[in-house]
Amino acid sequence: MAKQQISLTVNGDLYELLVSDQQTLLDIIRTEIGLTGTKRGCTTGACGVCTVHNADGEAVLSCLTHALEWDQESITTIEGLESDGELDAIQKAFVEYHALQCGFCTPGVVMSAKAVINKYPEPTEEQINAGMAGVLCRCTGHIKVKEAIRNTHKIRARDGVKGA
Amino acid sequence: MLLPQHNYLQPASLNECLMALQDAGEFGQIVAGGTDVIFNMRLKLFRPKTVVSIRRLTELMQVEELPDGSLRIGAACRLTDLAENPIINDRFPAFSESIRSVASTHIRNMATLGGNICLQTRCWFTNNSQQWRQGKESCFKTDGDICHVIKSSEKKCHAINNSDTPVALIALNAELTIQKSGAKRVLPIADFFNDDGIEFMKLCPDELVTHVTIPPCNDRLIFSKYAARKGIDFSIGSIAARCNGEGEQTDKVSLILGSLSTAPIKLTKAAEIIQTKGLTDGAIEQAADTVRGDLGEVTNLYSRAVYKKQIARVLVKRTLTHLKNM
Ligand SMILES: Cc1cc2nc3c(=O)[nH]c(=O)nc-3n(C[C@H](O)[C@H](O)[C@H](O)COP(=O)(O)OP(=O)(O)OC[C@H]3O[C@@H](n4cnc5c(N)ncnc54)[C@H](O)[C@@H]3O)c2cc1C
Ligand code: FES
Ligand code: FES
Repeated sequence: MAKQQISLTVNGDLYELLVSDQQTLLDIIRTEIGLTGTKRGCTTGACGVCTVHNADGEAVLSCLTHALEWDQESITTIEGLESDGELDAIQKAFVEYHALQCGFCTPGVVMSAKAVINKYPEPTEEQINAGMAGVLCRCTGHIKVKEAIRNTHKIRARDGVKGA
Repeated sequence: MLLPQHNYLQPASLNECLMALQDAGEFGQIVAGGTDVIFNMRLKLFRPKTVVSIRRLTELMQVEELPDGSLRIGAACRLTDLAENPIINDRFPAFSESIRSVASTHIRNMATLGGNICLQTRCWFTNNSQQWRQGKESCFKTDGDICHVIKSSEKKCHAINNSDTPVALIALNAELTIQKSGAKRVLPIADFFNDDGIEFMKLCPDELVTHVTIPPCNDRLIFSKYAARKGIDFSIGSIAARCNGEGEQTDKVSLILGSLSTAPIKLTKAAEIIQTKGLTDGAIEQAADTVRGDLGEVTNLYSRAVYKKQIARVLVKRTLTHLKNM
């Protein structure tokens, strides 16, 4: 099947792309657009490292959706969180609370965490657990990650609102 | 890894979609949220020639209260939106609970109600890549002639119906509206599922589930799911328990179990015991004792069948006790 043209806004930039039926959103983010922060893990919905945001700032799995489905839509990837070189409060929290080790899961974990904060700026334990259940970290564990999420609002209050 | 070759269509209207399904026939595949379709395409269990997307069909995205008090829900509504819908939370909290228990937040942000109802059955053999499966004989689902899950002379696929919301919807006596080009039919969801892992639902390739209608319900109703990890895993067993009356008094009971077999199971013996004796501790214990014998064949997935049977007993006892105190 011939490729079809789609328009997709990624991190505020508009891309016109030729996409085939066989490509997922993850495939085009990494290979066509060249933003490799979004990781390829299980590709079956179980690990969450491919997490990006839809236009409403909700976490979705880019491995489980056809790229063609995203024509005329807008997404945010991990590269879109910082603004003018300054990290988003959630990213600062990950650094300050040591919420990463090898870093492979980190883009997906940060995007999932950011989606929690978008919805609940000061989330409860239950809201954090529900929002983070879809991502797996094999080396840091989830304790530090949760600590970072819990404290993001303090960093935001300290440094002001930055990023996406 | 690219998806297997196919032709992807995004019809702009319901009519266009029904026509596309008719043209595609048995080589067509509906995709809504995609969370199960893409999974199955990666495993090469689904090898459609045409994939028809219903994700943007606004006709299938409404939640409406009908004049008779029923609630009509479009099949393409996202699970996240339904879980947060105040009318559903208020009128059918057990249904809300079943929606929230599906997969993870990430998946519910994509998945739809129609996709959950029409979820493909699964088993430990087919839940693996094609390369992995090639190490063993093909099964009924993969063009072979055996079932690896339960080996018997019966020519039947024993893959599990592992979906959560239908369990609650059966207890709620919900109805499905099913459309194809030029025709529409309504079917109680209780009659929608077949006891066969392959022909697991009464839906022709050119048909689409368009709506789910839930009649008013003033009874006590609970949905409960047991899984290894609460936040993302498929059920090891799930239950919806419904009864009328108050306290121990009741004369109408319905018990539906999910994720144990090829179709949801309606427990008649246990329900009859409670209907005649009420929700007394003795009757609940007696009802729970009948569960094991009433289950029929249970498929091992995520745990052994004996464990699943034990879980079924626990779920029945727990939910009946909970109903009594509601
Ligand atoms: C990691 C993981 C965990 C999961 N956990 C659970 C769980 O706990 N409980 C659970 O129930 N499910 C679970 N799922 C399965 C799946 O994500 C959900 O069932 C989801 O609701 C499917 O909806 P969808 O819109 O994404 O379906 P799709 O993948 O789009 O479709 C699923 C099936 O339904 C058919 N279909 C879709 N819409 C219609 C329609 N309107 N009419 C007719 N046929 C239709 C499709 O052709 C396909 O066969 C899980 C999946 C993953 C990857
Ligand atoms: S790569 Fe998408 S969930 Fe694992
Ligand atoms: S930081 Fe290594 S997997 Fe999470």
